[in-house]
Amino acid sequence: MTDAAAQPSAAPAHGSLAGASNRLRQRRRAQTRLKAYGIAAIAFALLALATLVGSVVVKATGALTNTHFTYEMTLSTEALGVTPESPPEEILRAPYGDLIDEALEARFPLATGRTARREVDALVSNGAQFQLAQHVVENPELLGQSVTYPLIASDRTDYYFQGGYGDLLTPEVAGRLTVTGSEDGTLDIRSSEEDFAEALQTVKQSLYGDADRLREQAARQQNAVRVYGERAAAAETEEAREAQLERQAQAEAKRDDLLAEAEALEERAAADAGTEPLDAENISLLIEAGGGWIKMTEVNRSGGEGVALTEVDLPIETSADWRFRTTTLPEGSRRVSDRQIAWLETLKAEGAVERDFNTRFFTAADSRAPELAGIRGALVGSFWTMMVTFALAFPIGVLAAIYLEEFAPKNRFTNFIEVNINNLAAVPSIVYGLLGLAVFINVFGVPRSAPLAGGLVLTLMTLPTIIIAARAAIKAVPPSIREAALGVGASKMQASFHHVLPLAMPGILTGTIIGMAQALGETAPLIMIGMVAFIVETPSGITDSATVLPVQIFRWYDFPEPGFEARAAAAICVLLTFLIAMNALAIFLRKRFERRW
Amino acid sequence: MYDTSKTADSATEQMSTKFHCADVQVFYGETHAIKDVNVDIQDKTVTAFIGPSGCGKSTFLRCLNRMNDTIDVARVQGTILLDGEDVYDARVDPVQLRAKVGMVFQKPNPFPKSIYENVAYGPKIHGMARNKADLDVIVERALRRAALWDEVKDRLDASGTGLSGGQQQRLCIARAVATEPEVLLMDEPASALDPIATSQIEELIDELRQNYAVVIVTHSMQQAARVSQKTAFFHLGNLVEYDDTSKIFTNPEDPRTESYITGRIG
Repeated sequence: MTDAAAQPSAAPAHGSLAGASNRLRQRRRAQTRLKAYGIAAIAFALLALATLVGSVVVKATGALTNTHFTYEMTLSTEALGVTPESPPEEILRAPYGDLIDEALEARFPLATGRTARREVDALVSNGAQFQLAQHVVENPELLGQSVTYPLIASDRTDYYFQGGYGDLLTPEVAGRLTVTGSEDGTLDIRSSEEDFAEALQTVKQSLYGDADRLREQAARQQNAVRVYGERAAAAETEEAREAQLERQAQAEAKRDDLLAEAEALEERAAADAGTEPLDAENISLLIEAGGGWIKMTEVNRSGGEGVALTEVDLPIETSADWRFRTTTLPEGSRRVSDRQIAWLETLKAEGAVERDFNTRFFTAADSRAPELAGIRGALVGSFWTMMVTFALAFPIGVLAAIYLEEFAPKNRFTNFIEVNINNLAAVPSIVYGLLGLAVFINVFGVPRSAPLAGGLVLTLMTLPTIIIAARAAIKAVPPSIREAALGVGASKMQASFHHVLPLAMPGILTGTIIGMAQALGETAPLIMIGMVAFIVETPSGITDSATVLPVQIFRWYDFPEPGFEARAAAAICVLLTFLIAMNALAIFLRKRFERRW
Repeated sequence: MYDTSKTADSATEQMSTKFHCADVQVFYGETHAIKDVNVDIQDKTVTAFIGPSGCGKSTFLRCLNRMNDTIDVARVQGTILLDGEDVYDARVDPVQLRAKVGMVFQKPNPFPKSIYENVAYGPKIHGMARNKADLDVIVERALRRAALWDEVKDRLDASGTGLSGGQQQRLCIARAVATEPEVLLMDEPASALDPIATSQIEELIDELRQNYAVVIVTHSMQQAARVSQKTAFFHLGNLVEYDDTSKIFTNPEDPRTESYITGRIG
């Protein structure tokens, strides 16, 4: 009989089961808190991931489509200076660029003068002429005929149609429009209702901003007034004091001017009526009427003055057939001018603008022009680099792991090697780039910028990962398998290669794939060995100059054009797709073939 | 189960010495694991090594086919002769030796391959079969000897790891006998098995005695008494007593042996 059994009436040491003690409650609270922290951390991580992927994908949509012009033009044999019988080299070299530009300039006769013509030409990509030339070389019978060949639009055209330069709004209008021309080209615009009142208010809002700027300047002058006053008080000679007082008076006058100006501006802004001039800092007010586009240069509540951007049939008298268009960005903040908007919208209304899936992005190599740039070169470069890396890193890594795990004697030297392999995995990758530059390129003369050099460097970087993973996988094979093999008379090598290696292979492959994924996303060491160059040719082997996907992304993000940013984001999506696919394969291999003992 | 006294008597008379071991010492680094072991293991006899845990019986067993070579710190001194040849001679290839001296381990350790592949692996690497038909014959003979043929003949392509524990151990025995060894070393072959599987293995050991010298390490004294004709008792690295099984279990000479078999030490 134990004591506990002998005294059943004694109070139980742990209290009743139903009522939790303070200690228990505290413990439970601590556990709940810990869980809450964990969930919060995971939620934060997921949110960050979603934001990252979301922003990349949203940006990448800009690279998914591109814009083509499909206006008709005549491949005039005179203008091109070639005939269908000319040799292909001559047909290829004919001035298609001029032909394309002239066709567009002819479409918009108001575009006279160098600037206007350059603006027209800037709508079409420079690459269009080469595509057209190639097309004509393949079909020389087209020469002398009228054709509609899709001409790739320039980056800014594409970005405009994507809404990158703001939207073109169409405010409701109620009145009838009357436009009359005058000698100097300005147009007098009047509507029967106060259709421009809202636009006028928007324009006036910017006056407040101007007034604020003036008041800031006035405050600075006020500061100067104070400083000069102090200096005058502290002046030692009468002359110096007077000079300071004079400067103070000047500053006071400037301050008062500025304040008066600001007040005048604010007054103007507050007033309902009045006429405001428009400049490049204001949103653009455009009118579509009489078969053309008019840009307003002055606006009041029911009309104003303007200039024709495209040909307009004048005069327009009390017409209900007009549209008022306003931009959301001022002309000074976009890379398409009002003129270009008018031309593009005219072409679009004619059905001469097509937007389609950007297959070029996957079939073209790099280019200076975003609309012509594609990832094929980088993708193929990455492929060759990965091939070199895999062909070297996998066998070397696996054999090194087998040697270290199965054959090497366990002594200080092998311990030293083991520690250093683990250390190598933590070496910053740029150091491998330096090593590659110094050894592979300078000593062994491996061609610069080539996948061979990149593959060698990435091999160095990937080897530790593969060796560590392979050693872990080999170690996980139970010794009983080795004993069984040795027991029936297999040599150590037979035991390793017939039994241990096949059983360790899923683990080794998993490690290898993860190492390769790491190498695929590596940038720094490749920049060191010159794989950052601008390569227009798709590499056809491991000794051609090449670049790789992550370096391409890095380069594209360096350019100011929004088209490159979109393409870089799209390239990130492609890279991520590959990385996710590789990791999924690694997980699949592990789940499918992993064996537990 | 077995009339050990009779079989032992008839066996010892006709048997020749298979292993002659003299002054065997084994060191694991600084540890002196086996001290001065002298024993003659006879052909076509089941010899049992008994003793408490850590007494060195498994270590000594592994000396016989040089499995200790795989342990870096292990050193073996003394003489071990197999049919008059020194096992530890520099010219002896352990691979050749292990083909002659097969081994079955404590835990069934079939290769994670098909039953057929498990048995065929040894003959294949030793070049014992010229073609598939030869190999089929060898595999069938080995499986029959291991009393497993009838149970697996219809599923030779099934994985060896899918068998039951007792079947796996018999598969390992089949794998060991497939290379036509002369000696079979068994390191506690039934310790991981249930009683029914154990009795099957014991029956099998008794049958294997007709063709091979069998050395078995066991923790179970009953098992030693049931299957062996000769028994060696190890204690703290020393071979305390080596004699006919019947004598060891009925009339041991050394007081330590008596203490062990009566359960006072161990």
